[in-house]
Amino acid sequence: MRALPSAGSREERRVWLIKALPPLFFIVLISIIPFIEGSLKSIFEIKFVLVMRTVGIYAILALGLNLLLGYAGQISLGHAAFMGIGAYGTAILSGKGVFGVHLSPYLSIPLAVALTALVATAIAPVLRLKGHYLALATLGFGLFIYVVIRELKQLTGGNTGLFSLPKLPLPFVQLGSMKQSNAWKVEYFLIWAIALLLIAFARNLVESRPGRALQALHHAEVAAEAMGVGTASYKAKIFVMSAALAGLAGALFAHAQGSLNPKNFGVVFSVNLLVMVVVGGMSSVWGCVAGSAFVVLLPEFVNNTLPHWLGRGKVEMGANVEGIVFGVTLILVMILMPAGITRGLSDLFRYRRNPLRNPFRKEAGL
Amino acid sequence: MSGFLRNCPTYLANGLLVGCLYALIAMGFNIIYSSTGVINFAQGEFAMLGALLAYQFSTRPHLPLSLAVLVSLMLTALIGLAVERTVIFPLRRTPIINMIIATIGVSIFLKAVARIIWPEEAYNVPPFTSGSFTVLGITQRYQGIWVILLTAASVAAIYLFYRGTVAGKAMRACSINRQAAELSGINVSRMSMYAFSLSAALAAAAGFINAPAASYGMGLSLGISGFTAAVVGGLGNPFGAVLGGLVIGILESITSGFLQVVLGLSSGYGEAVIPLVLIAVLLFMPQGLLGRGEKIRV
Repeated sequence: MRALPSAGSREERRVWLIKALPPLFFIVLISIIPFIEGSLKSIFEIKFVLVMRTVGIYAILALGLNLLLGYAGQISLGHAAFMGIGAYGTAILSGKGVFGVHLSPYLSIPLAVALTALVATAIAPVLRLKGHYLALATLGFGLFIYVVIRELKQLTGGNTGLFSLPKLPLPFVQLGSMKQSNAWKVEYFLIWAIALLLIAFARNLVESRPGRALQALHHAEVAAEAMGVGTASYKAKIFVMSAALAGLAGALFAHAQGSLNPKNFGVVFSVNLLVMVVVGGMSSVWGCVAGSAFVVLLPEFVNNTLPHWLGRGKVEMGANVEGIVFGVTLILVMILMPAGITRGLSDLFRYRRNPLRNPFRKEAGL
Repeated sequence: MSGFLRNCPTYLANGLLVGCLYALIAMGFNIIYSSTGVINFAQGEFAMLGALLAYQFSTRPHLPLSLAVLVSLMLTALIGLAVERTVIFPLRRTPIINMIIATIGVSIFLKAVARIIWPEEAYNVPPFTSGSFTVLGITQRYQGIWVILLTAASVAAIYLFYRGTVAGKAMRACSINRQAAELSGINVSRMSMYAFSLSAALAAAAGFINAPAASYGMGLSLGISGFTAAVVGGLGNPFGAVLGGLVIGILESITSGFLQVVLGLSSGYGEAVIPLVLIAVLLFMPQGLLGRGEKIRV
């Protein structure tokens, strides 16, 4: 057996264990969910495999945005558009077909991701802007792409969208010929495998030389520049990578859902992505998972679990209660755990600190 | 082409009226931004509340319209105040992004509450004066005159408030340098309270003069357009916002007319105009039309 990287003192081993435990726990949790789906369904009234499949896709999106926002300090309110480009790119190439040619999803997904990266490279000059101005420019970009997707009816089907897209490609397995619930489980594992790989990749990236350069330009751009960090090129690179991740998530979304609608890629979703990153915890790789789980699971819980537990009909609670609970919870998380859920949890478990203390109090100098 | 030219005055007039709405909302954005640094994502929802409250008080208790509008204005201002006290104030020691996300929470919350109270897709807010008139070949509703009058009155009122009152001067001090303002004895937190209620009231006005259309979902697009107008005019400058609003409104109206009549594209493309203007302004003149350029020193 290979020696553990922390084969040193007992103390080091303890620290390593504490660090490794939450991810291990999470991986175990993710892998057992499909096997206990039936009992989860009877307790919570939530189809966990389907819902967590979405969480996995959103986690990839949030991961991309977090690399940009949390680590490099550059905001984007246009990430839903990148997701849309990836999704429609692969859907048009493989499902709808161009000039009668239908590419295999094996080819169309990489092409769609490349297209997203290309578009991101083209608009990378907006990164000259800072703060609110950058937020607005990317918001404008997102709106523009949304309108284009909606109006290019020959290509995208307009408001009705695209239907019956091919399933995710896998060697040896034909998802299309499987029982629906089994196909969902396979997709679930595939998506989470990709998401966890990307999370591992992101963890390594942020602790590598480019990752440190990004964090340096986040905290003091001029100082970073003076130390020889090519800030403009780093910003552009991380922006393109973040967009490519969004494009990949979009492509997975398209094949997993089997249908697309422009509504999924509007400004509201870009804002939701921002919510995922900030609620989960900025500059925390695992925060992306927590944030996307928050955004997806809370409405599910309010709409399905609560009526089930209270013995009420679904219709009675309706979408309105969801909005109220979501809005209030969002505000409360921001007030009580301003550095995000993961920071709050790690304060509680790793450092045995009060999770509700405000980590910004000292920094703000107030 | 000739059809387009013939219709140009109408586009201009329509754009001017829409621009007035944008201007009111954008002014609110800039008032909050300049005194707190927060971009308020709930601004469009304040407009929605203004419109629906005016509808409610003019139908159910059947108040005279002037009174209903006044009540709606004051209630929305109170809601703005409550939002500041319950959401923004507790967040004063966190990064600005937290406050911005919290205002997103506020907007989701307000929209959900409004949807429970007013579940229909559309409500008719009565116009101040119904009917329409024709001048120089342009047919307009009488309400249009009210829109312009009310916008002008609001701008004048804000100007007098900023120039003539102690609170207004204190708010301007906050917008120049919050820390220095606090050191010279200005209660910055109270200014933030004023800013929120003031801009909620402005948004409410934009909501109910936009008669007759009102629904719980109207906030989003109004908010985005107002936001754009605020940036085009210069973020943080309430009077630049007025200019920005008018420019955006007119530009949007004329270009979407051009796209439809001359190029034969569907009207949906008109919505792409605002984002394009936004990006162009940000890239080529990020200080906006009336904004001060910022000098960054190391």
